[in-house]
Amino acid sequence: MEKTLAKKSFSQWVKKLSSWSVYIPRKDEEGRWNYAEADSGGVSLDVLQTTLPPKKILFPQREVFLEFAKTLAGNRETLEIKEVLPEVKPTVIIGARPCEARAAWMLDEVFGGDFKDAYYWRRRDQTALVGFACTIPPSENCFCTSVEGSPHSEEGLDILLTDLGDRYYVQSMTAKGEKLISAAKELFEEPKPEARKQVKAAHAESEKKIQRQLKDARPIAEKLKGMFDSPLWDEESMSCLRCGICTYLCPSCHCFDISDEVDNPSPLRGQRVRTWDTCQFPDFTMHSSGHNPRPDKASRLRQRLLHKFQYFIQVYDKFMCVGCGRCITLCPVGIDIIKVLDKVRDHGA
Amino acid sequence: MELNVYTPKLAKIVQAKDEVVGTRAIKTFRTEFANGARFDYRCGQCAMLSVFGKGEAMISISSSPLIRDYLQFSILRTGRVTAALHDMEVGDLIGVRGPYGNGFPIDEWRGKNLVFIGGGIGLAPLWSVVQTALLRKSEFGTLSLIYGARTSRDLVFKDELADLKSQMPVHLSIDVAEPDWKEFVGFVPTNVLEKKPSPANTIAITCGPPIMIKFVIKNLKDLKFEDDQIYTTVENKMKCGIGKCGRCNIGFHYVCKDGPVYSWAELKKLPQEY
Ligand code: SF4
Ligand code: FES
Repeated sequence: MEKTLAKKSFSQWVKKLSSWSVYIPRKDEEGRWNYAEADSGGVSLDVLQTTLPPKKILFPQREVFLEFAKTLAGNRETLEIKEVLPEVKPTVIIGARPCEARAAWMLDEVFGGDFKDAYYWRRRDQTALVGFACTIPPSENCFCTSVEGSPHSEEGLDILLTDLGDRYYVQSMTAKGEKLISAAKELFEEPKPEARKQVKAAHAESEKKIQRQLKDARPIAEKLKGMFDSPLWDEESMSCLRCGICTYLCPSCHCFDISDEVDNPSPLRGQRVRTWDTCQFPDFTMHSSGHNPRPDKASRLRQRLLHKFQYFIQVYDKFMCVGCGRCITLCPVGIDIIKVLDKVRDHGA
Repeated sequence: MELNVYTPKLAKIVQAKDEVVGTRAIKTFRTEFANGARFDYRCGQCAMLSVFGKGEAMISISSSPLIRDYLQFSILRTGRVTAALHDMEVGDLIGVRGPYGNGFPIDEWRGKNLVFIGGGIGLAPLWSVVQTALLRKSEFGTLSLIYGARTSRDLVFKDELADLKSQMPVHLSIDVAEPDWKEFVGFVPTNVLEKKPSPANTIAITCGPPIMIKFVIKNLKDLKFEDDQIYTTVENKMKCGIGKCGRCNIGFHYVCKDGPVYSWAELKKLPQEY
């Protein structure tokens, strides 16, 4: 379904979505942009990149899996476990970047398959993504066009909005998108033929503005298969502080830990939680014997890159990188995934 | 309610037996599900055991799937969860979820001779196949076991091994000599060369410490076993058990889901990340 929406009607549309939880980029007290639930105050619809991608809405940094408790009746102890599946009301993420939606589309693969992850799907099934085409790239490190995405990609989105000056061009790709539009039907108009032309031009223009490029990503993926033992990983990981920022803030990274938290040791009461984890921490893979299959920074940088640029492709035929550039922008020591992969491509050439 | 793969079923410990005491303590548990839940699995698969308040640990199932009354686990005390398991007694409740992993392709081994080669706690994953092969004896050729540990005290299933001797050749070993020891003294891989299992129509299945596996495979190759006649299991740290948490991979394989059983033909193609 294609429509247009006057910019001045945008806030009315959002108001009409009152039965939904609406997440939108908002500035926090420390001046950082992040997705948060909208209140009555204004929001920015500028093209910007939040610090955390919206993955935290589908896959929270910490969530309770189950609660356990022991009770003592007489001298009989009973153990009770209670599954805690999230109760989620219909949710819409407004202002998602197309790359962030593509990441959700990758998380769908990971959390789907033979073993469906009920916690993820409880949220995912209820969530619609409304994205804005990036008419200007929100980061100087954006490289979506190098990894089979684009600043106007539709993958994972329910609605794509494109800025046409005084109005948005509205493309709805799914039934969820149609539902969002029908919540305020009267605000949407049939697109004029010139609007269709304009949107095509805006999309083509947006691609040209991307500043960074990773050439030959698919051939690099092939080449990586032969570079497991390369000294490159050592050289490139030397300065890593193993802070984990590159993975925590990555829209497609999904590694997690499961652990028990005890509120009261006796009688036992607590919960089992899932928390984000990262392949950049040494104890991520450490066996209880002390043996560690990925004992050094080199093997962990290699894991991050190979997971994204080789293994995921072998299994799902997609890169597990959407080219948002956060890991480049935010790495405190300037490790640059594009530059590392450039070296892979040029290695031995 | 939708199926939630992370929710364990409650199981009661019905038997707890000290196999090895001391610093490398091993205990064998049998569990029954609290509400008669079903649990179908294959030889070589694992289960995620919970001690509530401590966490979860992935443990291989050492009982045969043909025995429906209980699940058996032999557990080496190494970390927080396994230590907590060792402190548990008959009647205590644990959580069990699974089964996980691919398991041994034993139906493909019909008509073949099976030689089991184990070291230390590595007899536990083998035990499930040994018991199953005995229960389906007519389907297989000759069965034999080569098994060793550091000392005689570190051998698991000591009583069962004595009984097993009446059903198949059992070759035991310990690493260094002890006064009353009458069998082989030396490492398991060396005992393999000693006993020289014939590769003719035979599958060798080996589980144990990584270093032992490495040399067992080398020696089996010297005895002219082909890569696809050798099977082993890989252990990596695990949390989810279902290919999602991202930590147990070797290359693009998740050991929890695509493993833990590999033929040497498959495993040698994967990077050394275990
Ligand atoms: S953000 Fe940079 S320093 Fe931190 S773990 Fe990643 S690569 Fe290492
Ligand atoms: S244990 Fe989580 S991916 Fe294997």
